[in-house]
Amino acid sequence: MNRNTKFNIPVMEKKKIFFAVSIVLVLFSILSTFIFGAKLDIQFKGGTLITYLYDGSFDTAQFEADAKEALGGLDLDVSTGTDFNTGRNSVKVSLISNAGLTAEKQIALTDALETKYAENNIELLESTDVSPSAGSEFFKKCLMAAALSAIVLIIYIAVRFRNIGGWLAGVCAIIALLHDIIITYGAFVVMGMEIDANFMAVILTILGYSVNDTIVVYDRIRENKTLYKGSISLSDLTDLSINQSLTRSINTSVTTIFAMIVVSLVASMRGVESILSFSLPMLVGLIIGTYSSLFLASPLWVVLESRRSAGKEEEGSNKKKKK
Amino acid sequence: MKKVSKPVFFVVFFLIALFAVSVVAGFKYYYGDNETVIIKGTDGIRFGIDIKGGVDVTFTVPEGINATEEQLDAAKEVIVQRMVNLSINDYETYIDYNSDRIIVRFPWKENETNFDPEAAVKELGETAELSFREGSETDENGAPAGTTASNVILTGSDVAEAYAAYDNNNSSGGEWVVALKLNPEGAKKFSDATAKLYEQNGSISIWMDQTMISAPRVNAVITDGNATISGSFDAESSKKLADQINSGALPFKLVTSSFSTISPSLGAGALDAMVLAGVIAFIAIAVYMIFVYRLPGVIAVICLVGQVSGTLAFVSGYYGFRDSSILTIPGIAGIILAVGMGVDANVITAERIKEELNAGKTLNGALTNGYSRAFSAILDGNLTMVLVAIILMGAFGTSDSIWAKVLSFAFFMFGPTTAGTIYSFGYTLLTGTVLNLFFGVLCARLMTMSLSGFNIFKKPWLYGAKAADRSKGGDVK
Repeated sequence: MNRNTKFNIPVMEKKKIFFAVSIVLVLFSILSTFIFGAKLDIQFKGGTLITYLYDGSFDTAQFEADAKEALGGLDLDVSTGTDFNTGRNSVKVSLISNAGLTAEKQIALTDALETKYAENNIELLESTDVSPSAGSEFFKKCLMAAALSAIVLIIYIAVRFRNIGGWLAGVCAIIALLHDIIITYGAFVVMGMEIDANFMAVILTILGYSVNDTIVVYDRIRENKTLYKGSISLSDLTDLSINQSLTRSINTSVTTIFAMIVVSLVASMRGVESILSFSLPMLVGLIIGTYSSLFLASPLWVVLESRRSAGKEEEGSNKKKKK
Repeated sequence: MKKVSKPVFFVVFFLIALFAVSVVAGFKYYYGDNETVIIKGTDGIRFGIDIKGGVDVTFTVPEGINATEEQLDAAKEVIVQRMVNLSINDYETYIDYNSDRIIVRFPWKENETNFDPEAAVKELGETAELSFREGSETDENGAPAGTTASNVILTGSDVAEAYAAYDNNNSSGGEWVVALKLNPEGAKKFSDATAKLYEQNGSISIWMDQTMISAPRVNAVITDGNATISGSFDAESSKKLADQINSGALPFKLVTSSFSTISPSLGAGALDAMVLAGVIAFIAIAVYMIFVYRLPGVIAVICLVGQVSGTLAFVSGYYGFRDSSILTIPGIAGIILAVGMGVDANVITAERIKEELNAGKTLNGALTNGYSRAFSAILDGNLTMVLVAIILMGAFGTSDSIWAKVLSFAFFMFGPTTAGTIYSFGYTLLTGTVLNLFFGVLCARLMTMSLSGFNIFKKPWLYGAKAADRSKGGDVK
């Protein structure tokens, strides 16, 4: 079929390949949780993480023992690294306790370390302490916000795109969205990044980006449906719409993805991990978001919509037979 | 579509440029050494503690205790009073009555070097020491001195309760007062003290820790333990004093349920990198848009400048009617997404115009069709974004905000959480998207239509038409 579009990708013909790719990626992302292990940040699971800066060096095992003693024998983990901003060494003390670490205990720890390692100039860089109940509540609230967003989006698409069978279109957009979120989550896990507030920001951005992308393609289908008034089949109509939107999708994606590459490069050169852990998974999400709205949401909608209208016709013919 | 007159481009362009410059630079003048800020510039943006560094702590009551609203209000007053004493003025406090939590956040002050956040947080949570003292003598530091230091009349445990009340039976009409109820032991001590001080026409000062919060004169001998404190109170200030007095009688000590500190150096690096990346990315996007879309690309860049300035203006408190909001890292992500939506709106339109031109339409017809056909996709995309932003603001904002009230049916079972950073994402996304509809759709259309009236801007090539089609067009005539 050539309708004078720049691209002529037979999306509907190859839909099985696209579906297969998506299924494999989603399965891999889910499995990666078990292979690599998801690192849930203490913001969600509760616990304490305290980072100190220091000069020179010390025996890490001894440091761990001293920290443990200062906290009255609580189980803890110690890891060392470098703080890029100051160029000094850093040491992280993390503990997962059922009760949050009180300010008193934290002061006791800092005081003990400051005296014991006086020649290392120990200095508090950051500390986070979240009680497990506050952590799980935050996690639940995030899920609730995501679920509510999904419902509102389905309703919105159902109303605005009712002439192309709105409800199904809405459901397909959300399936594509779930697909993007799961794969972005997989990217976080594979890259060994923590599931924290940055993760939420990325997921929310991808949510917006993916739905917008899907809507742009739907909009073209909606317009073409009125334009061609049933003169071409649903799958040809969708193919045409996808190919017509392709230049736009590519140009929009190129600009956004490029912006994220710049952010990632600057962040890695400056060593700002907090931004890198945000921009890299965002890159993955943006690419997947573009892919899914072109090659997953619309073909899936065609499959479901054809099946539904076939069902309707059957029903209709059955009724006729009864007459 | 109606023709847009030629000067419109210059008017819109000038307004956007003026707006952008004023947003970044702000507007202030100096009168002697006094700086008067008329418009806050971008240097007035308040960054969240994830960027600037600071302390975020959630206090709660010990397990097994169910605090009343009055008690929580009182506890908050203690915290606020102590922050003022520590000269922390840029703080946020929020009380959640359902889960008995008090959330406190404050960023580092400029050039803060030897501030001890752990000690500060410990101090904030301590029970306040309330005292009623004779007279109101103070030393140079504002601490009690002389008889005021030595003569403590009442302490927090003598107070049963204090509350704000409106007194109608007054010679000068009604007025706000603080009503004070003492327990029997306190009533006895108060009766003795007022008897003595009434004769001397003396006063009683009320202290929270080492700070005097009120010093009323004794106008009567109070024997029954029911006193009122009057004197130019309004509803708010009388409640504040009542809360402060109640804080001394709190039956519990606050404990921290979550507590985080971020050093200022950690945040500063992140901000610098983000700003640098933002500038590079913006220039790159501008070059790409102009290269790919030519004239509409140039217009798009002007509109994006307007959109970004508009968002920053909302964040910095540029408009007098809106308080400044706090910008966090997720907030910056919101700006990026909104800019992406702005680029997208311009791309969709430019692609449509190109398509129409390549299909053989005249320039005017192509522009008219392009804008009207692109609009539905842009509107739907941006409106869904607005909906998501509203949900986020409702879910992660304070529960007395408008969106939180609208969405309370879904989130009533959750208390406010410390991750208010996501609210910032919703906020910048919402403003960015709404501004996108203004700049990316309305202003872009006005400017493009206006420019197309100039003869030098009439070449279809400038709007992305293929060169081949232009020669074809020539053949037809």
